[in-house]
Amino acid sequence: MALDPAPSRTADRPIASRPLSPHLQIWRWTPTMAASIFHRATGIALYAGTILVAVWLFAVAAGPEIYVATNAFLTSPFGLVILFGYAVALFFHTLNGLRHLYWDAGRGLAIETATKTSIAVFAGAALLAILLFVAIFAGMGG
Amino acid sequence: MTHKGTASFIVQRASAVFLLLLVGWLVFAIVKIAGAPLDEMRAFLALPVNAFLAALFIAASAVHMRIGMNEVIDDYAHGGLRGVWKLLNLFACLGAAALALWSLFTLAV
Repeated sequence: MALDPAPSRTADRPIASRPLSPHLQIWRWTPTMAASIFHRATGIALYAGTILVAVWLFAVAAGPEIYVATNAFLTSPFGLVILFGYAVALFFHTLNGLRHLYWDAGRGLAIETATKTSIAVFAGAALLAILLFVAIFAGMGG
Repeated sequence: MTHKGTASFIVQRASAVFLLLLVGWLVFAIVKIAGAPLDEMRAFLALPVNAFLAALFIAASAVHMRIGMNEVIDDYAHGGLRGVWKLLNLFACLGAAALALWSLFTLAV
């Protein structure tokens, strides 16, 4: 078990078991580490988000009655928080995905560069999500 | 994924490139139909180009999210349940894709 708190050497297990990675609070947080964790977190969020998109498409196809209920949920305060979270996750995972592809090309791996690009990805995702919501609400008002 | 590391590695990056190419259209579509009346949304999704790109986005997403979640399962799930989680993952990805594609088809015809 990865989270087994037992010491690696005991009387009945004299040989050290597989080394375990120190838990989250052991590490000093860095932008690159935060981006890595956030990439996985947003990936999981988008997994749920894609299922939500599928349900939304079904509601649109199923007709007014089901659509009205779905739309009422999505435009409620709680629904809007979910949609904004989806936008942040989409933009972060997209921008950080670009960063991963750049790394795959063997570029941008220097620590200073990786730190700068991780900060840029956080800032870019927040900015694009806010811009998207501004564009949506401006479009609806106009 | 076990025994399929290289294939998963390549497919995850290929689907990522697909999704990168499609995300611009997705943002355009969101801005275009957010807040629009239901009839307008249905008309937008019924246009062949939008229906096709939406279907492509869903298909590439299903492939990409299956591999990504399998990686998470490999990292955190241990013992016999790992295979069960991966099977559930496959069902969820196929189910979401089927629901979305069926809906897009219904809207297009």
